[in-house]
Amino acid sequence: MNNISQFVLKYRQASWRVQLQWLALFVLGLVAIALVAFGYLNISTRTTRAGREIQTLKDNILIEQRENADLETQLALQISSQKMAPRAWALGFQPADPASITYVVVPGYTPRKGIDMSVAGAQPAAQVIPPEYTQSLFDWFAEKIQSTASVSEGLP
Amino acid sequence: MKNPHTWRYLTVQIILALIGLSIPAQIFHLQHSAEAKAILDAVYRYNGWEETFYPKRGDIYDSAGHLLAGNQTVYEVGVDLTALNALDENARPAQENNIALAAQLYLDMTYNEAIEKMKNPPYPDSTYVVLADNVAEDKALELKDLKEKSLYEPSGHNLNQLGFKAHYQRSYTENSLAANILGRVPPQDKAGHSGVEEKYNSLLAGTPLTVWVPADPILARDLPTPPVGTTLILTFNRDVQAATEEVLDDAINNTGAVSGTIVIMDPKTGEILAMATSPRPNLSDDAHYGDTLSVEHPLNPAISKDYEPGSVFKILTMAAALDKGVVKPDTTYFDNGIILINNIPIRNWNNTVWGLQDMTGCLQHSINTCLAWVATQLGKDDFYNYLQKFGIGHTTGIDLAGETPGQMRLPMLADSGWTPIDLGTNAFGQGLSVTPIQMVMAASAIANDGQMVYPHVLYATVQDGKQKNTSSMIVATPIRAETAHTLNEMLAASLENEASKALVPGYRLAGKTGTAQIAPYATNNATNASFIGWGPLDDPKFLVYVWLEKPQADIWGSTVAAPVFKQVVEKLVVLMGIPPDNIRLQPAGP
Repeated sequence: MNNISQFVLKYRQASWRVQLQWLALFVLGLVAIALVAFGYLNISTRTTRAGREIQTLKDNILIEQRENADLETQLALQISSQKMAPRAWALGFQPADPASITYVVVPGYTPRKGIDMSVAGAQPAAQVIPPEYTQSLFDWFAEKIQSTASVSEGLP
Repeated sequence: MKNPHTWRYLTVQIILALIGLSIPAQIFHLQHSAEAKAILDAVYRYNGWEETFYPKRGDIYDSAGHLLAGNQTVYEVGVDLTALNALDENARPAQENNIALAAQLYLDMTYNEAIEKMKNPPYPDSTYVVLADNVAEDKALELKDLKEKSLYEPSGHNLNQLGFKAHYQRSYTENSLAANILGRVPPQDKAGHSGVEEKYNSLLAGTPLTVWVPADPILARDLPTPPVGTTLILTFNRDVQAATEEVLDDAINNTGAVSGTIVIMDPKTGEILAMATSPRPNLSDDAHYGDTLSVEHPLNPAISKDYEPGSVFKILTMAAALDKGVVKPDTTYFDNGIILINNIPIRNWNNTVWGLQDMTGCLQHSINTCLAWVATQLGKDDFYNYLQKFGIGHTTGIDLAGETPGQMRLPMLADSGWTPIDLGTNAFGQGLSVTPIQMVMAASAIANDGQMVYPHVLYATVQDGKQKNTSSMIVATPIRAETAHTLNEMLAASLENEASKALVPGYRLAGKTGTAQIAPYATNNATNASFIGWGPLDDPKFLVYVWLEKPQADIWGSTVAAPVFKQVVEKLVVLMGIPPDNIRLQPAGP
């Protein structure tokens, strides 16, 4: 007991030790702030980069859509009746004459119905960015609490 | 024991604290200074912009899936006046000179026009001026490439202030084919004019979306994409349309007619299978689009030009009389070449006298006096009630812009100007006017068991990958099915008896010719020659109406319009795959 009292006394008499303690605490605080700043900068940089990519991708989507429309139109121009008819004539084809057609009766044959241009599984355009990228920490926290409460109350 | 160096530590601490405090103080000062306000204003000005996204206009296809109207990329080329104004007094003229020279080379405009646009923008505070719009993609990309190359030009001559904005422009892949049905979207406009483009403009154009686009990438988010315009599928096949237009053009050339119209409709569904008119402008040639059109020659006379139909109208008079029971096919009429209606004489064409005829004979020889007599037997009230049931005097409601209702005076309306002689002349298609589509719709009742169908060109719409087909609609049932069957037989017999030029070997058809004088009757020998017919008689798949305006080679519908009908049907049965009656009606095999 006496030894401990003496150690504390000696420690207090060496004031540089107390100052060192404060300095260490200050440096620790500084490091913590630096870490937060680093984290903030890191996230900001990544957000900026992602934002720039979104802008670029959005522009690219518009360009691709225009190119698709251009290609569809160019294809249609190439197979338009004004282009196809002379090519057919040049290849030796001629319009069919009713008298030269031979019809064959096929029992059970049903002629093709009208055109169907629906696309299987097509869905309306949807937002592509998941909520994780847009909601705030508070929103996320509130959502989690809400979902936990819903589960505990047995809600679907 | 007091540390002798305490004051030094204290001094250093105070200095460091002051430095530390000065940082937030400076931050506070910077954020509230006059310069900061200017910078913030600039930031707010440039941190984003409102942009309107115009959806891609919906495509238009024919019934076989051929693209008739699509979209292509064109560019708006403009000058950033803010950047141009930021140049000093010496640099600006040089830069304007560079841009004007480039515009002269690539944008089909003169040097002076370009300079004028830059010097005198539409508004004094304009920050951007459009030099040229709807610039073809290849030209715009060449100019864009030149701008990028000029960035590294050692002489300092560049095109830095030029801006390029891509957008869609309507493109018509078949040029003039079905131009009267499609209508068009002029390059300088975003709305459809005439035809399908105007009628379904709101569907095709979609809904433009105005959104705030942040320049700050941190604020960038997934901008909502406006849904593309609805795709339309039309009822006609381009091959049938092209064949019909070819037949019409040949007919006009051969007969010297001023113009012509051929309408083909499925009499059971009302689907328009072809609608050929003349003249047809080239939808891809905007500069000369209106050259051939005028009040006398509208874009689509099939729906917007009314005329006195003449004898083709007799089928409606006969249908009404048969349905009311005032005549039967074997009812006889003795023609002495003249009939008096309210003491006013009505004569046959060229004063011909046909003697005793039954009702089939009246149709076969197209006897005006007979049909005038039939109308008097029917009486004015019943006659005009039937005509109204057939839709005469009203628009059909076809889904094309620009339809007109025609004209018909009614005895029930005191101020319509109707006189008793109208009953006699209207009976054979004079003294009233109809459009070709009205005649087609009215005749569909005779071809389709008494049920009159709504004519339409829209087969289906496609939105978000889902197709919604248009259902056919019965507009009215003006006559009974038995009446329709009886009249069909009479019309088929009258064609066969006179060995009409409309007959097509292998197929039994019903039809009627029409030759209508064009007023003033006393001095004008010009006629409207027409023919309306349908087939195959047992199960009609097509109803064809031919109208040639003022043919020169011959004035008669039976000699100029009937052969055109035959040519159309010969092509139709091939393109639609309709076998001759003897094959189609043979019993099914085991």
